[in-house]
Amino acid sequence: MKILIVEDELELANDMEAYLETESYHCERAATYQEALDKISHHEYDCILLDLMLPGGSGLKILQELKAQGKQEGTIIISAKNAIEDKVEGLQLGADDYLAKPFHLAELSARIHSLIRRKNFQSTDLISQNELKIDLPSKVVRVHGNPLNLTKKEYELLLFFIGNKNRVISKGALAEHLSGDFAEMFDSHDFVYAHVKNLKRKLKEFDYGDYLKSVYGLGYKWQA
Amino acid sequence: MASMSKLLNKPLRSFVLYAMLILAISIPVYFYVVDSIWTSELDEHNALVKEQMVEQLEKYQGDSAQLNDFLRFSNSFTSGTRVQKTEGLIIPFDTTYEITRKRYSLKETEENRFRGLVSRVEIQGLAYTIQVETNFEEADETFLAISLVTAFFFITLVLGFIWLNRRISWKLWKSFYQTLEAIRQFDLSKDKAMRLEPSDIQEFQELNKTLNQLIERSIAAYQQQKAFTENASHELQTPIALLKSRLDLLMQHKEINPELASLIESVERPLARLTHINKSLLLLAKVENKQFAEIEEMDIQHRLKENLELFEDLAADKGMGFQADFDATKTIRANAYLFDTLLQNLLSNAIRHGNKSGIVRVSYEAGHLQIANEGANPLKEENLFERFATASNDRVGTGLGLAIAKEIAFRYGWTLSYKFQGSWHEFSLKF
Repeated sequence: MKILIVEDELELANDMEAYLETESYHCERAATYQEALDKISHHEYDCILLDLMLPGGSGLKILQELKAQGKQEGTIIISAKNAIEDKVEGLQLGADDYLAKPFHLAELSARIHSLIRRKNFQSTDLISQNELKIDLPSKVVRVHGNPLNLTKKEYELLLFFIGNKNRVISKGALAEHLSGDFAEMFDSHDFVYAHVKNLKRKLKEFDYGDYLKSVYGLGYKWQA
Repeated sequence: MASMSKLLNKPLRSFVLYAMLILAISIPVYFYVVDSIWTSELDEHNALVKEQMVEQLEKYQGDSAQLNDFLRFSNSFTSGTRVQKTEGLIIPFDTTYEITRKRYSLKETEENRFRGLVSRVEIQGLAYTIQVETNFEEADETFLAISLVTAFFFITLVLGFIWLNRRISWKLWKSFYQTLEAIRQFDLSKDKAMRLEPSDIQEFQELNKTLNQLIERSIAAYQQQKAFTENASHELQTPIALLKSRLDLLMQHKEINPELASLIESVERPLARLTHINKSLLLLAKVENKQFAEIEEMDIQHRLKENLELFEDLAADKGMGFQADFDATKTIRANAYLFDTLLQNLLSNAIRHGNKSGIVRVSYEAGHLQIANEGANPLKEENLFERFATASNDRVGTGLGLAIAKEIAFRYGWTLSYKFQGSWHEFSLKF
């Protein structure tokens, strides 16, 4: 899977690359508007991470260019502006998602994962991992063919873990994923533990391997 | 400050006192003048009468019968004249005098004032004494008349002063009161310049000019402050993003151990708080700068349900539950992001400050949304909605939540208010 990181903040681009490279992703980078334009014209990507404020031009123009060239790449806007106007305009111009800086790399990875699924497996819409199968449109999760009865939040957690395979995800990132920005303001994230516990129990019921590990109270890791 | 009076009432009091003083002094002066005129006119008159009598005496000299008739007539018919033959030395003189007596030959008991002239004349070797007296107004009557007239004019003057004062006050101070009202209406955060009507009075024109300059400077400073907040929090976004991603990478380290894990977690907490504070500052600046212009129609009930769902876990962590009561469906026009933010701030506030294992009451009824949590003591209302105000001792929040909520409410003309009622902290939003 090829990902283009269009980001002028070099260090942030480094971090994203470092986090994503361990997955089956290959990352390329563009730090300016012109560079980004060259790359999208000559290469195909599975996903483009697009910063809006670039030296040389706006990321929104790159979206227009992609549209003009008839490209089907999935794009996620990553912006520090967090301006709702940009979000609306970006989505209207064909961006698939919008992530406001600062974000957890786990959140980014989960979004990329979900976007690539949506783009590439439109016919099947299926995530399968060992004995686990997830039918995305109907949100049905099966283990050894048995459907699991997951709550909305357990389902979201499962997708989040699968989008961050073999990575330690902090409880804070999970809390934020489930409860939004305001989770940052609450000292207790015990609810994450409760949801994870239930998810593990339900997976185990149908004899799914113990892939979900706790990491010293810091967070969790989905080993696969 | 005990007794405040309007500016123009102060000179009015002085004017009235001054007018009273002057008019009081004028009474004896008028009296003196009027009396002097009377006296000198009567002296002239008496002298004239004397001249006539002398002429008559000269005419009848030598005709003793006619002379006697004349003398008799003069002394009886004319009440104020007396002519007498006088023996002895002839030293002519004229003397004027004043006398108060009863009138001759009249049945009057009243005393009258008279101006008199006694004259001794020599007519063909004979001496005559001529006395002429003319009745004139008594001093006390004159004095009384003048006093009454003066009092009448004094009252007229005072009434005039009051009327003029009102008129001037209204006309002259009109532009002052307009300016005062404009200042009263002025709200820096409304982003609307104050327009002061031009005045044709120099002082007020200058006042308005100075005020306009002052307001312009305040607006400029306010804009600068807003821009500063937005820029500063903007600049902080990138380093915060870096810290966050570095921490995420650090977690992936192979040699992670429990000690390191707990250290990472202890950094993640304050970083999360910093992130939220910065986001809130940026949001507040943006709301103040009138961003988030898109407006859509939303169902209040639907928005409430979604946001309650978002917070149910956070509430559950404190053992709290929601008591929701909003059956009525109602749509509202606002920016969806801002409306959600408003609800989230109020909910977050209620959960954070609510009692453990308590209840957060959420109700909507007829344009009136209420989010309430239990509490022991009322909060200090005066700066509850101010930035970084600490109405309670706990410091878990950003100190911006209620300020943001208030600002968003203000933006759409809704009223957000706080009330402590029966051990409930109630935050009410009226649409």
